[in-house]
Amino acid sequence: MNGTTRRQFLKFGAALPLAMRSLNLRAATKPTPSSPPRRIMFICNSLGFYKPYFFPKTRGDLASSPYLKEVATKDKLTVFENLYHPGMETSNHDSEKSFLTGVPKPEAPNFVNSISLDQILARKMGGETRFPFLPLSIYDRGWGCSWNNRGVAIPTLHDETRIFNKLFGEEDLTAKRRQIENDQHVIHCLKRDMHQLETRSVSEGNRSAKIESYRSVIAELEKQLEHEAFWLKTKKPEIPNTLSKDPEFAFSAKIKNLLNLSKLAFQTDSTRVITFSMDWVYGAINVPGATGGWHTLSHHGGKQDKLQPLSRIEIDIVKHLNQFLTDLDAIKEGDGTLLDHTTVVIGSNFGDASNHTCSNLPTIVAGGGYRHQAHTVLENPMPLCNLWLELLHKYNIDVGKFGSSNGNANLLHA
Amino acid sequence: MARRVIIVVTYYMLGVVFFGPHKLLQANEPKQLFKHYCIDCHEGPSAEANLDVVALLIRSHFDATLIFENVASGKMPPADAGQPSNEERREMLTWLADRQAESKQNSFRRISRHEFVYSVNDLLGTKLDLAGRIPEDRGTRDFDSDRRIQLSHEMLGSYFAVAGDMLDHALPADGFISEQTWVTSKLKDSHQTYNIYVRDYKDGVLFSWTRANNGNSYSFFYDNFDPPGAGWYELTFDAAKVGDFKEDVSIQVHAGKYYYADDRPQPQRLLDVISVGNSELESKSIRVFLRPGENVSVHCYSKHNFRNENPQQGTYIRQMKAHGPLQDQWPPSRYGMLFGDLPVEMKGNLQKIGGSITVSSFQQGMEKENMQDGSNRTFWHTRFKPTLAKPPHFVILKNPNERPIKGLSYATWSGGNGNGQIEKFEVYTSEDGNNWGEPFVTGNLETRLANEQPIPFHEATTSRFVKFLATQSFSLDGRSLASIGKLDVVVSLTDDLQKTRVSIVSDRSEDMQQVIRRFTERAFSSKLTDVELEPYFDVATHALERDGDFVQAAKVGFKAVICSHRFLLAPGEHSSQQLSQKAELARILWLSIPDAELQRSTASLRDQIAWMIADERSDRMIESLCNQWLNLRSWNSVSPSLKLYPRYDDLLDHYLPLETQAYLAHLIRENQPTSHLIDSDYSFLNQRLAQHYGIDEIIGQQLRKVSFKPDVPRGGLLTMGSILKVTTDGFDTSPILRGAWISKNLVGVPVSPPPENVKAIEPEHGDDAASLREQIEQHKSNEACYACHKSIDPYGFALESFDSTGQWRDKYRTETPHKGTFLFRLNGYYRLTTAVDTAGEIDDQKFTDIFGLKKLLLSGNRKIAYNFARKFFEYVNGYEPDMKQRLALLAMIDQDDCRMKDLVTEVLVYSLSGDSQ
Repeated sequence: MNGTTRRQFLKFGAALPLAMRSLNLRAATKPTPSSPPRRIMFICNSLGFYKPYFFPKTRGDLASSPYLKEVATKDKLTVFENLYHPGMETSNHDSEKSFLTGVPKPEAPNFVNSISLDQILARKMGGETRFPFLPLSIYDRGWGCSWNNRGVAIPTLHDETRIFNKLFGEEDLTAKRRQIENDQHVIHCLKRDMHQLETRSVSEGNRSAKIESYRSVIAELEKQLEHEAFWLKTKKPEIPNTLSKDPEFAFSAKIKNLLNLSKLAFQTDSTRVITFSMDWVYGAINVPGATGGWHTLSHHGGKQDKLQPLSRIEIDIVKHLNQFLTDLDAIKEGDGTLLDHTTVVIGSNFGDASNHTCSNLPTIVAGGGYRHQAHTVLENPMPLCNLWLELLHKYNIDVGKFGSSNGNANLLHA
Repeated sequence: MARRVIIVVTYYMLGVVFFGPHKLLQANEPKQLFKHYCIDCHEGPSAEANLDVVALLIRSHFDATLIFENVASGKMPPADAGQPSNEERREMLTWLADRQAESKQNSFRRISRHEFVYSVNDLLGTKLDLAGRIPEDRGTRDFDSDRRIQLSHEMLGSYFAVAGDMLDHALPADGFISEQTWVTSKLKDSHQTYNIYVRDYKDGVLFSWTRANNGNSYSFFYDNFDPPGAGWYELTFDAAKVGDFKEDVSIQVHAGKYYYADDRPQPQRLLDVISVGNSELESKSIRVFLRPGENVSVHCYSKHNFRNENPQQGTYIRQMKAHGPLQDQWPPSRYGMLFGDLPVEMKGNLQKIGGSITVSSFQQGMEKENMQDGSNRTFWHTRFKPTLAKPPHFVILKNPNERPIKGLSYATWSGGNGNGQIEKFEVYTSEDGNNWGEPFVTGNLETRLANEQPIPFHEATTSRFVKFLATQSFSLDGRSLASIGKLDVVVSLTDDLQKTRVSIVSDRSEDMQQVIRRFTERAFSSKLTDVELEPYFDVATHALERDGDFVQAAKVGFKAVICSHRFLLAPGEHSSQQLSQKAELARILWLSIPDAELQRSTASLRDQIAWMIADERSDRMIESLCNQWLNLRSWNSVSPSLKLYPRYDDLLDHYLPLETQAYLAHLIRENQPTSHLIDSDYSFLNQRLAQHYGIDEIIGQQLRKVSFKPDVPRGGLLTMGSILKVTTDGFDTSPILRGAWISKNLVGVPVSPPPENVKAIEPEHGDDAASLREQIEQHKSNEACYACHKSIDPYGFALESFDSTGQWRDKYRTETPHKGTFLFRLNGYYRLTTAVDTAGEIDDQKFTDIFGLKKLLLSGNRKIAYNFARKFFEYVNGYEPDMKQRLALLAMIDQDDCRMKDLVTEVLVYSLSGDSQ
């Protein structure tokens, strides 16, 4: 093989099958109109909700909840009472780390987390979209609610403009493209080296076993690069930038923007798994009707002078969540709405942020096409991980246990 | 000593290889020996331990590893039965080994993530700590080298990613950030609750406080220093001890992300610890690796000033100076290592915009180019030999493309006596290089600072000529001189980082092939033919043809080499037996590849091993052994309860494993007796460890060898805080866990997993120590448990004198409740209950405490040495030795005087010389 033909081989021999397989992949990923894809979203409000205002006073009647009475999609959600995280009874700083993992004692200096629920789902559902998952947060704190299979925090995205650009913006993809191309050249080189070694040597037992094992891993890596390369070639959806800038209510605008971006990401099928870690901030925030330190106010000790401004903050959060669910429900998709095909879990790591307890965690499951009950009070406290396990089953992930689960919650019915 | 071991081995190997089989063919003696010594208990359906020796003996192949180990260790026949002579014992073992089943080890293994990162670092001349970015793939195996661990595509993907990062760091496409200096004494805002524990003091800050309300260390972040890029920085603290006490105070220096007002454990890396004993200010420097986005924080430790408001004592830090990112030389030496003699070109901004410079005069060796090579260690100097150049001294910057220049970036040259450093300057502009007009900018420069001094222009100029005129400069002897370390133009204010690109001037594929050959032969430890190299040549030369950048194209080739099966799967393919052996040695002892010296070495295998162990790279093996053999890799999974052990802190947590590493390194490098694994009268301590162990008069945080008086229970591994901590759950000690650790890792008793359908005993400390022992002694009542636990639990009883942090105790602590939210206090939340009971009995020998247990273990020193040899063999080879290999290991054990380096050397020689196959 002289230089020129080898180069031609490199150019066409390697690239052509890639391009063709990419086309197959694209065909496979286009959702057929009759079966819209299923999505899931987790929202963790890290300081929870003041329970007497959150849970309905009359069992089963959302109108009896001061916070939830305004929610428009009442028939498409269920509020669960009496879920908890076992092993997290006292002083739980950092408990949001455990929200989607159920690993106790997150504030111990040598705490090691495990894979979070959203990541298990992303591994299953992420292969077909540009972004396997989106981990969102309020600010860059070093961790959110998403943890990888080694228990390492997955860096979150918090800058709305950057998230918008990542999802829809015209990015400078040169470096990324060059890296992928280089890696594809590298893989080609390594395959040639293996091939050469085989043909040159009379097959020695160990050598062929060695090459076989390497051949299989490099083939899988090649596939992964194809996925990345494929999405580089595909134009991103064109969406006008409607991010709101509200200097007066910056915190409020941030939540609104992140939820709006989530809606757009689902709507354009850019991802099917989103986790939004609604981090608490220490400093004062300004919401309509109140100004105060969210964290300081959360330690209200039941005092009215703190509960009043705190409730303004929480009402503001619920307002945005309500808008988000309403928006999803307004988008027609297949035989239903986007909300019907998206399970939205709204919860918290704290049952009571004032006392730092993790019992009776405020939890809402909305959408997803389930037969919703508005309000379900469990007779006995149940590990939140039971609900997580049930969600895994609902998304066809067959595991026997998740975190501190002691069974399938069996709370969601189609 | 070494020679004696060799003789024993040779003699014994001869015995096995040449005489053994011959004798066995002649008679059935060994079979008779088994009948004679074992048959009383092990025969027929009611045989003890369900082991019918007679039934086994008539089979040709069977797994007799357990019988082998029991006979080898002297556990069988039991002490109360007739004992075979040493010669008979050896014959029995040889007979068993000859009948072992074929072993089916994988013939290769993947290199571990640590081996990968160390190897690539050594190949590229970098020191990057990136192993944490690659997943841990060891699972439940003890050793990283375990051949059962397979390479996965996720792992390969991580290797691709990390290889890319390491190459980009070593040979950055957009250039190197210039070295700069920052000086700061300002702290970033911190939580108001903690501000009372630092205060302004003299010209800096007095730090005096140790733990936060929740018990975590709270550290204070320095402002005004944000590392501009990943790299090594020198941090210098001007610090002094304030207070009248004899101990040093310590500065724990961390790197992490700054959070305002956050009292939570911050995800920070401990970079280093500085010990401060001086009452006058002294500069203390450390070299640390920092990444952009990280800030430096300090936490000052002293046992004297816990939570004092408006404190009067502690650590006074006047200022922190940071300098970096550091390069070992300019251009970095790796360019020579990787690209040989190919010409290197360094481009500053002026060259990037197509400009050039002229100067009024220059001294030979101190030419004008030195101002724009990215370093201020090389410099331009006006001529002083043979004749002194007369003023004016100036530099003219030519801007033929009329690009907007927004200012100048100036630096003095660092080092030297200061001669010629410019104090006053004027800048002129001109369109023709002749008419300069009025000064455009004038100003003063700081001669003492090594960092860059920007000279901004009030408006950008597009003039074709810019003159920098030195109007006053420093001179020791009154001569008129001028010197400049760096002078370049600022072309864009948004591009605030001054970077210098280093490139190789070549577009020849022959040059590329030479570079790729040099790199690949180092990486693969092999001479390579053109045919073998062809794929690597091609991937790099095609990249060169594609975009013409030599260095970036070479990186593509390098990446292919370090992600190849020859690099990632061991053993690789080598052109000679010697190179293959050297590659193995380097991987085992250095977790890396052979360096040039080792590749060239013609020394004997034993001599190579000796100097490689003496080389500091073998610290990597020591750390691996501590993590893998002694289980210290579980270090972070155990955190002692703050309620029971309030004095346990970050500093102790940092130094405890280091003690074990220093001790094991000493045992091996200094060829100490294997009995020192069990007991010795020394260890390696610093002030914090000595406090923990209750030993006085050790000042300062440097580890040093400390001798113990006879009544000190320390010395040896099993009484080290690290081992004692890692064998607990942080609350209670568990005699079972500790006993299992000793029997598995030190004594080498073969332990089978617990039989199925047995209810596990998980003892809990109550108020009553007797009840703990009663719970454990339940093992006695169940024969299935007792068979093994009689040689596990008793070891642990002797260690009950040590709590979960390894501190000596006479009584147990029982937690008491706290009111409301947990609030850290130095006295903890516990009360003392019953006295510990440390007596036990093992193999019919009684002991009453740790001293007795150590004596008992020492009496079986051969077992300890044999077990170490076995563990080291497994570390080296990635699988447990089979019986033939065990026989060889047994033969290395000298009866009376067995030493660590000898044993390490013999195991290596045996494993590498092919005798073990």
